[in-house]
Amino acid sequence: MRKNAIVITSLLLTGSLLLSACANNSNNESSSANNAAAGSNSTNVEATTTPETVPAGALSEPFTATDLSKLPAVAQKRTDTIIVGLTDPSGAFTPYFQQSGYDGNVSSLLYASLVTVDDKGVPTPELAESWDVSDDQLTYTFHLRKDLKFSDGSPLTADDVAFTWTIQYDKSYDGSSQLPSLNVKGGKAYKEGTSTAIEGIKVIDPQTISVTLEQPNATALVQLGSNVLSKAYYGKDYKFGDLEYIKKLHEKPLGDGPYKLEKFIPGQEVRFVANENYFKGKPKTEHFIYKTTEGDVWQFVETGEVDYASFSATDENIEKLKALGFVNIIPYTPSTYGYLQVNLKHEQLKDKLVRQAIVYGLDRQSIYVDAAQGAGSIANIPASPISWSYTEEGINPYKYDPEKAKQLLDEAGWTVGAGGIREKDGKPLTIHYLGSKSKNTDIFIAVAKENFEALGIDFQPEVFADFNSLVSKVEGGDYDLVSFSTSMLTDPADGFMQFFDGEITDYDNPKFLELYNKALATTDIEARKAVYKELYQLFNDELPIIFTSYKKTVYAYNGRIENLSVSPFIGLAGSLPTWSLK
Amino acid sequence: MSAYLSKRLLYMVIILFAASLLIFCLYASTPGDFITGNIKLTAERKAELREIYGLNKPMLERYGIWMKNALHGDFGYSLAQQKPVLQLFNDYIWNSFLLAAVSTFLTWVIAVIIGVISAYKQYSWFDTLVMIAIFAAMSLPSFFIGLFLIKILAVDLKWLPPGGIITTGSNATGLAYFKEIVTHMTLPVVVMTLLGLGSLTRYFRSNMIDVLKQDYIRTARAKGLRERKVLFTHALRNALLPAITLVGFELPALFGGSLIIEKIFNWPGIGQLYMQSFGLRDYPLLMGFTMFIAILTVIGTLLSDVLYRIADPRVRL
Repeated sequence: MRKNAIVITSLLLTGSLLLSACANNSNNESSSANNAAAGSNSTNVEATTTPETVPAGALSEPFTATDLSKLPAVAQKRTDTIIVGLTDPSGAFTPYFQQSGYDGNVSSLLYASLVTVDDKGVPTPELAESWDVSDDQLTYTFHLRKDLKFSDGSPLTADDVAFTWTIQYDKSYDGSSQLPSLNVKGGKAYKEGTSTAIEGIKVIDPQTISVTLEQPNATALVQLGSNVLSKAYYGKDYKFGDLEYIKKLHEKPLGDGPYKLEKFIPGQEVRFVANENYFKGKPKTEHFIYKTTEGDVWQFVETGEVDYASFSATDENIEKLKALGFVNIIPYTPSTYGYLQVNLKHEQLKDKLVRQAIVYGLDRQSIYVDAAQGAGSIANIPASPISWSYTEEGINPYKYDPEKAKQLLDEAGWTVGAGGIREKDGKPLTIHYLGSKSKNTDIFIAVAKENFEALGIDFQPEVFADFNSLVSKVEGGDYDLVSFSTSMLTDPADGFMQFFDGEITDYDNPKFLELYNKALATTDIEARKAVYKELYQLFNDELPIIFTSYKKTVYAYNGRIENLSVSPFIGLAGSLPTWSLK
Repeated sequence: MSAYLSKRLLYMVIILFAASLLIFCLYASTPGDFITGNIKLTAERKAELREIYGLNKPMLERYGIWMKNALHGDFGYSLAQQKPVLQLFNDYIWNSFLLAAVSTFLTWVIAVIIGVISAYKQYSWFDTLVMIAIFAAMSLPSFFIGLFLIKILAVDLKWLPPGGIITTGSNATGLAYFKEIVTHMTLPVVVMTLLGLGSLTRYFRSNMIDVLKQDYIRTARAKGLRERKVLFTHALRNALLPAITLVGFELPALFGGSLIIEKIFNWPGIGQLYMQSFGLRDYPLLMGFTMFIAILTVIGTLLSDVLYRIADPRVRL
């Protein structure tokens, strides 16, 4: 649940997905590209996912190493060190101030949070042993555990929490934390400099802190309950309006997580050593290393240089991993979904029937499942199958049905004109599609072109090698459809993000807003589940965006590692302290 | 000479100024900026961030600010890495330099030796074989040969490490550290040398063939000089002269990093960093690096001219 970190995505990365943790990166790559750090990690070993709804390619069950004697000698020799591949940490290890998701992976081991989430995304206590929410859902009171310490032994108190929240409201704060959008009471006044403290934040005693919001927001608990920065260390030089000094501390983090930073070698390694002051006790394995793996991670897994890596769940990859014999493999679905953003300003796409026709007429099974060698499944709602809010009840699966699509287009008044292209009021039906340059985009274009031509739609694809150019084009409004994928979704509300502050502000539906706010107005999970079900059904029918696919990955790790599990929301950080080498 | 030098230096400064303006405007006018890529931000937040980073100012004003800071030796902080640009260079450039320097040195030495022998024995079987081998090496894609060597030598035979610069987690120092780096360097250096060898060998071979046809070589032989002396003193020196112009071009290449090689061998060099920063529109890093390469390029050409003058007195500067 790191709240910041733009993931740096090299679109050149076509190889393996690499490990990533909970960096809530906010880069949406085109749904096609393999987003290495799309926050995320896999199911628990005692998989709680529902295999019948999520068949995991060629792997639906965890696979145990068959022959540990094949383990390369290098890996055999390690007794107190575990090495994990991580694409490219840059060295900005301060939570809230990092721009890269990979740095988020690093800080997730250096810092613990007040509140964490379980494998379903439900909040559970961490540094805070409990919390209360007022009846009006506006005031949250956190009760910290006793005797919490930072890794240097200094005490962690409510003051540190208050400091952490406060600096995110500083006017010079340039990170991507979503906390300021929670509207803590008095946050705005602080930002504008009209008040020297944030009115809504109250330190009650060293173990207790409360915070009051302007309006209820169910995601607040997890947002507020993120990492804590030491006021004594990070606040020493703090003056309102100037956070520049923090940059100097990025490579010298002081945290309270399971590990401490031992050494950072740019472009090579991040070395950690166990933190004896960790509130759950010192982790079992003394040393942990994130090894930078810019290119392909295969060679490092095969030679035993890394103990853990993630791969796209293609049949080929899974076969290859099984053949190694010394790795355990776990299947996993990231908490993200891929979608096609629809330009709702364009006349032809304002019509729900046309949007539905596009989904019926697009052979998503071929594009996202078959062509991806099983490393994907089809999405029909804005939530990942692993979320507690996921449902298939009353959800239209939109099975590929070109006849139905044609019928819907006829119904919408688009009739086949000269040259086989449909027309309405003398205008031809064209779809101008944008995608990032990648293998998956190529597949999409090849299949979609055929599908759309069969429906009588003139399909005009445009491919961008550069993500920022693509987004600029989208901002300019010159498109009909564009491929994106979400970043890591922790709360179900995150799945609707793009309707509020991303690009799709044109979806004006009072019913949607009402339901969305209703779902955020309570923190009761069962009540929220019911509202989300309604929301999903609404979106599944309305299609303000076109849902495409879920990714599927597998994690392969050294068969000697025990007690390993990976959370879809917080990655390795949750189980790492208990990992041990047999 | 000194008048010539001061004139050249003045030109260099003017060229660099013009180049910096051009480059800045090019980068600034590519669609999208550092903020664009983060599509989770609200429009309001995007505007705030552009304000903080000064991205909402007119292009020329931004250039002015950048130039003023640069003249004070301040190249700013990388937006994505949150570190001073110069510190990043220091972190990565030396790794790139190490690879480039060693492989360039090897390439030149091997190219001269093979080129000379091939030229001397023109049309012999040795020459034919060398030419075939060279064309083969030139036409291999670097990622293929790189991955192929990793597969054979690192994964299957386990003779050499599969990538990186040191063994993960190693704390070696002194001689052991040196040895570690050498073994990790071997594969990337071999690939870089193979790829660079072709064109240079052909260059030396054709130069040497031209020189061997000259009258003064015939004269030298007629005087009864030993063939070795003819070859290595009279011919080689003149054959190497034109190569001095190439030395200047090598200078920026030594520090520029090599994207593909660094990626394949997981080598922590500047090439990858630069490529990445382009995708992210990390302006301070892009500007700093591009200017650095521009400076090396103009210095390199000056160096070539001066060296040429020293080597060949007939050249007037």
